[in-house]
Amino acid sequence: MSGPISPGLRSGSLPVLVALMTMLAGLALAGLTGIQALAESWNTAAQSSATIEIPTDADHAQSRTDHLLKTLHETPGVTDTKLLTPEKVRSLLAPWLGETDDKAGKPPALSLPTVLIVRHEHGIDLEAVVHALFPEAIIEEDMRWSIRLQRLGRSLVGCAWLAVSLIAAVAVLSVGITVRRSVSAQRRAVEIIHAIGATDRQISGKIARRAAGLSLLGGIMGLGALAPILMFLARLLAPFQDQNAQPPPPADTLAAWSATLSVLPHSLLEMLASLPFLAALLGWLTAQSVVLVWLRRLP
Amino acid sequence: MIRLDNVSMQPRGTGKPILYGLTLDVPQGGFRWLLGPSGAGKSSFLKLLTLGEQPSGGKLSILGTSVTNARRNSLTQLRRRIGFVPQDYRLIGEWSVFDNVALPLRLRGAKKDEIEQETFSVLEWLDVARLARHSPRELSGGEQQRVAIARALIGRPSLLLADEPTNALEESQARRLLFTFQQLVEMGTTVIVATHNEMLVREAPAPSINLRNGTLDRSDFA
Repeated sequence: MSGPISPGLRSGSLPVLVALMTMLAGLALAGLTGIQALAESWNTAAQSSATIEIPTDADHAQSRTDHLLKTLHETPGVTDTKLLTPEKVRSLLAPWLGETDDKAGKPPALSLPTVLIVRHEHGIDLEAVVHALFPEAIIEEDMRWSIRLQRLGRSLVGCAWLAVSLIAAVAVLSVGITVRRSVSAQRRAVEIIHAIGATDRQISGKIARRAAGLSLLGGIMGLGALAPILMFLARLLAPFQDQNAQPPPPADTLAAWSATLSVLPHSLLEMLASLPFLAALLGWLTAQSVVLVWLRRLP
Repeated sequence: MIRLDNVSMQPRGTGKPILYGLTLDVPQGGFRWLLGPSGAGKSSFLKLLTLGEQPSGGKLSILGTSVTNARRNSLTQLRRRIGFVPQDYRLIGEWSVFDNVALPLRLRGAKKDEIEQETFSVLEWLDVARLARHSPRELSGGEQQRVAIARALIGRPSLLLADEPTNALEESQARRLLFTFQQLVEMGTTVIVATHNEMLVREAPAPSINLRNGTLDRSDFA
């Protein structure tokens, strides 16, 4: 069966509106992916490490530190230990504290501790292990920072999802208004078709298919407009992926585009690729709902 | 058949019924003239029978389906069995004549070949086949009326309603249309025609439904 059985959709600026929404959604998703990656890296960096300060003026400090180090190496769950001697700590603090008195042969003005940075798995009682050998040691678990960072990360991810949801809501509203205006403008034709015996689904189906098609077109246009921005971001990101890598050359072929975009997370690329189809689905559902509700006013 | 039992009609938002106290039967395969002065309620009566408005009181049954409090879906099926020639033709200007006339067949899911054949056949019979690809906006009043008649006839309706179907037709075309109505009646279609054309009524004497001020003035059933 071909030929019309229902009025079409007077599209107006629907594809352009959807294109803009797709662009915004793409940017929000890119931001969301970045925030998620950042939150995860904060989490993994902070959650499994502890800093142990050992006072150098304690009795037999050197030999007890060596023993503690050996014990930590043998403790199940401890994955790495790093020793910062007072000299190393002093050199690290030099920019803030000024040059030490070593060159002058004078004793240091500050009594700096030996610092142990311990990376460990969850569930081990590091405090018990350390204090059994070195009760004077001060332990600072980075876990509490991890919790704060996790909270911050979750809040940022939540904000990003809220932005994506708002964009989707505005897109639905735009499609809804366009469809409603179109149906109202063609009220007479809709009434004629209804009177001749068209079912509500027959009338809404064609309008919804057209809305889906235009939304798909708008989505593809939006992705096209987003591509240069994504390329720019990908070129900025490339050095962070591999510190030895040079920024990719300007992409002037499809293969070069593909290589440049491969720097971006696959999950982001998949989400971006699905945007036009999501826009089409939203367009279809919105148009169906709006037309079916509108038709309820007819006898 | 059509059965009205004390039917009244009061459009939403209006304070006074347009039709009231209508009680009558029209048997399947019956022909009725719908007569009455302007403003008597003829168009409203046809609107009621084309399911354009629900009765506000009484009981109405069309082709065996009770319209009063009927579900929307069942009314859709009923609408497909009713052909209507409106006074203002009600054609869709954005579509071609062919698409306007083919609509009832398309809504039923008819095949493309069947649609093509049936549509051209009825357009040729009404002498408007040459206009098939034109927009109704490009046609004269008489041509538009014939297109509206073609659309009403193409689905072979069980009930055919016509509101002044000959007012833009030449005399010979009006006689031809009347002959078609009579043929449809012989095939079992119920036909109700609202008209002011006294010549036509004289040529085809038949029972009439007379309306005056929204109610039955005199009904004379065969």
